[in-house]
Amino acid sequence: MQAIQPPSNKQFTKATIAMQRFALGARPNDIKRIENIAQPWLLNQLTFKPAVEFDSTLPDSNEILIIQEKYKQAQKAFKEYAKHQPITANMSDNKDMQPPKNPNQAIYKQLTADALQQSINSFNSFNWRCLDFFSNHFSVSTQGSIMRGLAPTLEREAIAPHLFGRFEDLLLAVYQHPAMLIYLNNETSIGPSTKYAKMNKGLNENLAREILELHTLGVNSGYQQKDVTELAKGITGWSVARPGKEEKEGFVYRANKHEPGIRTLMGKSFPESGMKQGTAMIKYLANHPITARFVSTKIIQHFISDQAPEELINHLTTHWYNSNGQLSSVFQALIQHPLSWQIKQQKYKTPREYVISTYRALNIKNLSIKQVQSALSVLGEEPFKAGSPAGYSDQQQDWDGANALMARINWASQLAGRKASKRIDIETLISNTFGDTLSTHSYQVITRAESRQQALTLLLLSPEFLRR
Amino acid sequence: MLRRDFLKALAASLVIYQSPLLATTKATHHQPKVVWIVLRGALDSLHTVIPTFEPNLINLRPTLYPTIQNELLPLSKGYALHPSLINLHQWYQQKQLLPVIAVYSGYKKRSHFDGQDYLESALKIPDLDNGWLSRSIKVKNKHAIAISQSTPISLRGAKQLSNTWYPSRLPNAEHDTFSALQTLYQGSPQLLARLQEGLTMDSMLDTKNKKAKQNGNFINLSRSCGQLLKQKNTDCAMLTLGGWDTHKNQAGLLKRQLSVLDNGLQALKTELATQWDDTLVIVATEFGRTARENGTRGTDHGTASALFLAGGKINGGEVLGDWPGLNETQLYQQRDLKPTSNSFDWIAASIQQHWHLNNQQIQQTFPTSSPYQGKIFRS
Repeated sequence: MQAIQPPSNKQFTKATIAMQRFALGARPNDIKRIENIAQPWLLNQLTFKPAVEFDSTLPDSNEILIIQEKYKQAQKAFKEYAKHQPITANMSDNKDMQPPKNPNQAIYKQLTADALQQSINSFNSFNWRCLDFFSNHFSVSTQGSIMRGLAPTLEREAIAPHLFGRFEDLLLAVYQHPAMLIYLNNETSIGPSTKYAKMNKGLNENLAREILELHTLGVNSGYQQKDVTELAKGITGWSVARPGKEEKEGFVYRANKHEPGIRTLMGKSFPESGMKQGTAMIKYLANHPITARFVSTKIIQHFISDQAPEELINHLTTHWYNSNGQLSSVFQALIQHPLSWQIKQQKYKTPREYVISTYRALNIKNLSIKQVQSALSVLGEEPFKAGSPAGYSDQQQDWDGANALMARINWASQLAGRKASKRIDIETLISNTFGDTLSTHSYQVITRAESRQQALTLLLLSPEFLRR
Repeated sequence: MLRRDFLKALAASLVIYQSPLLATTKATHHQPKVVWIVLRGALDSLHTVIPTFEPNLINLRPTLYPTIQNELLPLSKGYALHPSLINLHQWYQQKQLLPVIAVYSGYKKRSHFDGQDYLESALKIPDLDNGWLSRSIKVKNKHAIAISQSTPISLRGAKQLSNTWYPSRLPNAEHDTFSALQTLYQGSPQLLARLQEGLTMDSMLDTKNKKAKQNGNFINLSRSCGQLLKQKNTDCAMLTLGGWDTHKNQAGLLKRQLSVLDNGLQALKTELATQWDDTLVIVATEFGRTARENGTRGTDHGTASALFLAGGKINGGEVLGDWPGLNETQLYQQRDLKPTSNSFDWIAASIQQHWHLNNQQIQQTFPTSSPYQGKIFRS
């Protein structure tokens, strides 16, 4: 008889870490599926084309801009119509007298639901986590009617296609996307010495400032106000076509709004070359060593620890530099470094990670997306509602307050109340979710709970599930 | 106006002005109702229905027993109820309560989840989609409602006949979940600190929030249960109450917990009003606890416990079941109260007599039991 080898615990633990820390949490059998191939499984995902796949039947940014234009016209027409109607008592009953409905809220719900649904159901959820990281790095918020529909399209159209490509291509795609251009007002930025500049129309530094402060070099990295102004001038003319008024759709370069002249950024000069000038400036920033270090640190802080270890930062930065900012190389460096695989959990899950990993652990098939969205709203991380270009915080101190914990306790115990009676075997759920990494103490408290519902509540609130 | 129409109109006006009268008319239908209450977490029967005649009790429970010894509410044969069970004691005196001692579900392994599966399925090998209450309503084509967020095992397997209900504004997590969380966070000082902060904040909340929270407490759930049962279409209901896993500081916990149970049952009775006479209440738990108290003034998982049958027409006022004794040799595995009968012998008998199941139907519903032959109800 052939002797059966007991599974190597080390491999088991590694598979668990891969699922929890790098991906979005284990569904039943996920850990077993990658038991001996944790690292290759992660590395393989870097080669996916496309890296993540969305529901392609949903509207894209160009369609949303057209829908918005039609809505605006319908609104105008309605106002005009209403003005000429006699005021009657039963106006509210008259179908013709109803103002047109804003379509953007429904679009927002569909698009954000799609991303959540894919994240919850994907086996290759490492890529979805990477997408979430950059989506938050290039955070856009749903302020104003048009941004409600547009905000969720940035990750789909600009980030996802370049997720593991070169950072400069990612940057260019983001800065040529209507969502970012409109959110940070670059579409109305006009070169101050062009004839279009007027008293209240001119240079807008908003996007340029955030590029330097949040997306590339990072705050306090040595750039000055004049660098902000220079970059802002460099990207004047990067705008969005007006649907119905122009032949084009989406991104448009308006040469006549571009500020002419040589630009100097961080001591380097960029000759006048129209749109190419801004492109060159952005590429320069993308490949700057300070950018490599800043973004690498953020990646490590997201995946591994709020206190990114210096050794790991250097490791990623070197790979960044050697590969000319090829993000697949940077993530490969992260995956292959032993410091990424410490058993100690150092990250506290954000609400989005918490909710998604909960749904994955419980393998909830008939997912009510409404419930997922309301959970994110209750726990404080509604998609594209950070309200600041800095995005949602990625640090424990911003998520682990007493109120936030109470909200998680209430949410988890309600969910457990709804799910506990399903065929959930707690021991199996523990091993499916934590592999062999659950502490003896937590194991005992959970398995000794006085009911299945309570056991499930405790499992979802255990330190090992709140962290990853 | 035709005489018949006149009567119709009169009847219609009565609906408006005389609804209490109408309720009594309904009750005269004698629609027998059942309320099934599961105490999750394993009730310590030795601290609930106390055998005061047992000389070993004080030795086994040197700190626990004295906390109640002088305030016990006497029953017959030397038994007594815990001082918190004031209403139940009154029911007992009115012959509306039957405590049964030293019972078990047939399960002897001391795991809450498995024990509850046994108690709810009443099958030799528990089937999580087949509960005994659902089998009972199926053979008699009755309708049930579970006061819970999802269908409990007891009522699974009869989708057409059962329903669930729970207050829509969801309550905060139950108290015992918070105390379990405090244990869970022993090794995580930061989470523990946050939890304590959160609990302090919570206790200072305004009354509006408190009220919403109370919607989910047992007394309010029992009251709602009574209201729901008054509907003509509802023959039985299921309630659960957690918080019985008293490994630590049991005296204080049970004092509060038993009082919640007692007041909840009284609220149910009050709400049912005249229908109380047609109601059978069954209260049981998954297993009992160790005869000996442990080192933290609590008790650990055991085997036999007690159950209660109650109702307006129950042949009550006596304690049923054989007493196994508390000598070292009389304890099950030298640690637990030994079971002397199966809970389902009593439950099956009460259901059989209340809903008039024939022997074949009872065999179908409770395949593992041999129903008690005595009279559970006064005729």
